[in-house]
Amino acid sequence: MEVSSLVYRLTAPNGPVDQAWPPVVVFLIIVTAWEGAIRAFDIPVYVLPAPGDIYLAFVNNPGSLLWNAGVTLFEAVAGFVIGSLLGAVLGTIFAYSKILARGVLPYIIAANTIPVVAIAPIIIIWFGHGMSSKIAVTAFLSFFPLALNMMKGLQSYDRTIMDVFHISAATGWQRFFKMRLPGAIPYVFVGLKLNVTFSVIGAIVAEFVQADKGLGFVIMTAYRTLAMPRLWAAMLMSALLGILFFLIVAWIERSFARWHVSEQDNP
Amino acid sequence: MTGSRAESAMDNRSQPSNPGARQAEDSLVSITDLSLVYTAHGMTPVHALDKINLDVTQGGFVSLIGPSGCGKSTLLRILGDLLSPTEGGIRIGESSPRQSRLNRQIGFVFQEAALLEWRRIGENVALPLELRGVSRAQREKKADELISLVGLDGFKEKWPRQLSGGMRQRAAIARALSTSPRILLLDEPFGALDQITRDRLNMELARIHEVTGVTVVLVTHSIREAVLLSDRIVVMTPRPGRISCIMDVDLPRPRSLETRNDQQFEHLVRLGSKELERGYGSV
Repeated sequence: MEVSSLVYRLTAPNGPVDQAWPPVVVFLIIVTAWEGAIRAFDIPVYVLPAPGDIYLAFVNNPGSLLWNAGVTLFEAVAGFVIGSLLGAVLGTIFAYSKILARGVLPYIIAANTIPVVAIAPIIIIWFGHGMSSKIAVTAFLSFFPLALNMMKGLQSYDRTIMDVFHISAATGWQRFFKMRLPGAIPYVFVGLKLNVTFSVIGAIVAEFVQADKGLGFVIMTAYRTLAMPRLWAAMLMSALLGILFFLIVAWIERSFARWHVSEQDNP
Repeated sequence: MTGSRAESAMDNRSQPSNPGARQAEDSLVSITDLSLVYTAHGMTPVHALDKINLDVTQGGFVSLIGPSGCGKSTLLRILGDLLSPTEGGIRIGESSPRQSRLNRQIGFVFQEAALLEWRRIGENVALPLELRGVSRAQREKKADELISLVGLDGFKEKWPRQLSGGMRQRAAIARALSTSPRILLLDEPFGALDQITRDRLNMELARIHEVTGVTVVLVTHSIREAVLLSDRIVVMTPRPGRISCIMDVDLPRPRSLETRNDQQFEHLVRLGSKELERGYGSV
């Protein structure tokens, strides 16, 4: 009975199976074509490793790859948290002070256009060779999106709702916590989701510049020794990391913003 | 025009010392020589309201009507302390609008329901109580009462987006009544609704007025709505915003949609429309 109800739920229209089979089929087609092409045209492994080789590179040494991925994930998450917190605070200050926003925002936007590869060496010199410098680079990258979205979100309140709070003699704190902040939640998650992607990029780029562990380090070492299957395995691992992190934030958003417009189908 | 304004102004000024002025005894709102002038940088000043004199009886139902720009919403917003007048006096009971607002004695309903989408209907209705620091148990109790008063039974746990426009407006009315205000101010609350829903909500409003005894000031574009609901109708004209006449509506209460079949109803609608058109004539 329980098994059949589980099967029923998995196979329901728009259920997991219904959603998942098209990408799974495409994945199988790509992998088959890839493997077939390498055998048919005898492509050397340093040009393009076969999916089987990449799989073997992963299975032969899973501990090392997973451990390095863990290092990168830790840097990404720590940088994400610090950068997001700073971004949220600054975005809030900007939302409340037009003068500060007008004066400081142009420089923030200008700083945002600096390529991360250009700023990473400087930050690493400031913060040293350990993980803290990777976290700092990540925090630098995942700071702007939330700052800007936080500001936009806090400013997007409905004027009539503001009047309702005025009539009810609400305090400034009440306006912030019961009106402006909840109203900004959809914007906050737009910023957080951007930060997820940026934080993984930030951690790996910082490891490129200087590191003795992490996926960026694995990629650079594999690159120097032309260990192509391992290079590919590390690249795919970093993609998985980003996807996993993104799904966690998306899941938090769903439980946080049940009322939000994008959730209208499941009241 | 100028003559009639002078007369009404004199009426009001002489009221305190005039033993014949019975209105002053039971009036909740008294407005004397109230003006609001907007002065924007480099523009000629706009007289949104010019020397308004008006009393609203305790428990009364007054409608403000007139073409756009006549200052009816402005006057309502001054009553709710959402705007400050440039000149003149305004009292609600013994207090200024500001004191009344801080004492939570004002309920305000806007054209949009302005519900918080992230709160269920019950939590929206009880919002003013929550902002005031009332305990959860008491809020729940009051929310239940109000939800059934406005006819939203069974919708307490729904999200605002699950409600129709008319139901959202019912919730907004319940929210405005949550602090048991002395005066309920409504700014074209049913303007965005279809005719049938509007009729129904008009009747709900008449019933709520009768049940709670709250004093009501309603801003509307519809003379039929004004006649159907009010004791007094204040017709206003624009540029500058002035009161052109005040009509007493002596239709029996309780009112119902059948009231519209009354001879007197049609007569008052014709009279009011004529008065209204004069305001539109100068547009």
